[in-house]
Amino acid sequence: MNHSIPDNKKDVSRRGFFQLTLGWLAGSFAVAASAAGAVRFLVPNVLFEPSLRFKAGKPDDYPDGSVTFMEDERIFLVRQGNTFRCLSAICTHLGCTVNRADHGYHCPCHGSVFDDQGAVKSGPAPRGLEWFQVTLSKDNRLLVDKNQRVAADKYLVL
Amino acid sequence: MNAPLPKRIWQWFTRTRVGRSIFRIGLPESNLEQSQVMVSSFLLHVQPVKVHRHSLRASYSLGLGLILLYLFLILTGTGVLLMFYYVPSTEKAYDIMKDLQYVVSAGLVIRNMHRWAGHLMVLFVLLHMCRVFYTGAYKRPREFNWVIGVGLFLLTLGLSFTGYLLPWDQLAFWAITVGTNIAGYAPVIGTKLKYLMLGGNVVGQEALTRFYALHVIVLPTVALLMVAVHLWRVRKDGGLSRPDEPGDIVQQIELKQLPTNKTYGLMELARGTTPQVGKNPEDEVFAWPHLVFRELLLFLLVTAVVLFLAIFWNAPLEELANPIHPPNPAKAPWYFLGLQELVSYSAFWGGVVVPGLLVTALMLLPYMDRQRKGVGRWFARERVVANTIFSVCLVIAVVLTIIGTSFRGPNWGWVVPWKQPPAITEGH
Ligand code: HEM
Ligand code: FES
Repeated sequence: MNHSIPDNKKDVSRRGFFQLTLGWLAGSFAVAASAAGAVRFLVPNVLFEPSLRFKAGKPDDYPDGSVTFMEDERIFLVRQGNTFRCLSAICTHLGCTVNRADHGYHCPCHGSVFDDQGAVKSGPAPRGLEWFQVTLSKDNRLLVDKNQRVAADKYLVL
Repeated sequence: MNAPLPKRIWQWFTRTRVGRSIFRIGLPESNLEQSQVMVSSFLLHVQPVKVHRHSLRASYSLGLGLILLYLFLILTGTGVLLMFYYVPSTEKAYDIMKDLQYVVSAGLVIRNMHRWAGHLMVLFVLLHMCRVFYTGAYKRPREFNWVIGVGLFLLTLGLSFTGYLLPWDQLAFWAITVGTNIAGYAPVIGTKLKYLMLGGNVVGQEALTRFYALHVIVLPTVALLMVAVHLWRVRKDGGLSRPDEPGDIVQQIELKQLPTNKTYGLMELARGTTPQVGKNPEDEVFAWPHLVFRELLLFLLVTAVVLFLAIFWNAPLEELANPIHPPNPAKAPWYFLGLQELVSYSAFWGGVVVPGLLVTALMLLPYMDRQRKGVGRWFARERVVANTIFSVCLVIAVVLTIIGTSFRGPNWGWVVPWKQPPAITEGH
């Protein structure tokens, strides 16, 4: 019957102390682990989005001096002479798709302007547009890898 | 004997065995029954038997909290109806919106009601917050109810924002793209947070599924629980705030100071200014009919206004979402346009620092403002400093929102609303 309710707060026995500490530890651990599990569950492992690595066709599909917009991938393929580069068309400000302008690029959403090198000329964009790595596949196709960011002066030279 | 026919039918019905079993008390005829009716009915027992005259004054609360409650109910009702048709699929959602507009009977009106009630809810949550601030109603013992209120404010924005994506039109797609990118600017967790919200890198099917789950179940349930706690606390904190009156019997019993050799029934432990403590009986009136009928009237009024808006104005539906062609300008929902205006100067300051500081300040406000005077009156002299600071912030927010809404056109350049060119969708 007598469940030894301590009549004064200062009386915590050694055993009571361990029980208390262990209880709290176990409880906190259970809560933290469930929360972590739930959050991890919500982070997708597989994406059903267009692949970040894709083939952009034969080099000769792109005339010299051309800037070609590819809708599904949201990139520009830039050819100058025998060099190839790939520029992201996603504005670094808030993710709108930028348009090609006479000299550079222009974001319709909040008016950021980028030059031909993708650098910010004006507007709220905090960074220049990203450049992605372009390589040549074994079957002689341009291969763009959006996982690989490169500097603006990196070219694929053929 | 000469009561109107509906009343006589009602009186007859509540005297039958069935009627009595349902309603127990018929229409109250005496003071005793006026109290009994309030405690014997599930819906009425949430409220006190008697209320202070001050709480009934429409010029004090402006009924804003009640209006919010009713808007929430209307949103739940129309939202559940919409769920009978809506499918959160990028391939179907847009067509279903069209069906609701042109094929389903009353679909247009129900969708309109849901949309306008949603906008009104955001508006009234702000107005209610202003009224609570300007009357100093967040002070002791109501500090925590203010914090719950700030939670409800954020939930309301969240509900509105998640609902925005569901029609899957251009407006939806770009507002959510812009909105989630603003979240992406949060330090350290920003990119992860955005990935988690969208279930990927872009606004697509995963994002639609997530926003749908949040919009129809997660956020409404949390909001409902918090509204329940909020209203419960309004009552437990002694009804609406009111100025101290000379006749009040001020009794501050601290629970700890009660003698410990006695057993108390829990319902007897009245703390601070609960309805029973600190009031003159003459200032109290019966909740039935004074409160109950005002509430009913306001409910009818709110429903009528929402219905009126829904019949005469259609909720917008633009073209199908198109990830390649952002509309120019791409705008977030109107209540975020003040933020977007700031974001157009600096995404980090406008998107993260300013809103973060504002929310923190709102949460801490009742604990920072120690001044005890000036509760229960609009614009009390004692609160002139607090009121001025709040008003300045408010005016800035309103001005920024108006600029973002009406004075920004293509390329986020300046336009004047009366000469606004239509949004252009640019090609390449
Ligand atoms: C879903 C949103 C909300 C609902 C349904 C709601 C509902 C209510 C209701 C019905 C009342 C009773 C009195 C009145 O009508 O003013 C009330 C009072 C109150 N509300 Fe809210 N509210 C909401 C949001 C908020 C927000 C955003 C805040 C502040 C940040 C807030 C803070 C308070 C406080 C402190 C009181 C007590 C006022 C007093 O005693 O004078 N509420 N609320
Ligand atoms: S998204 Fe490009 S300027 Fe804002």
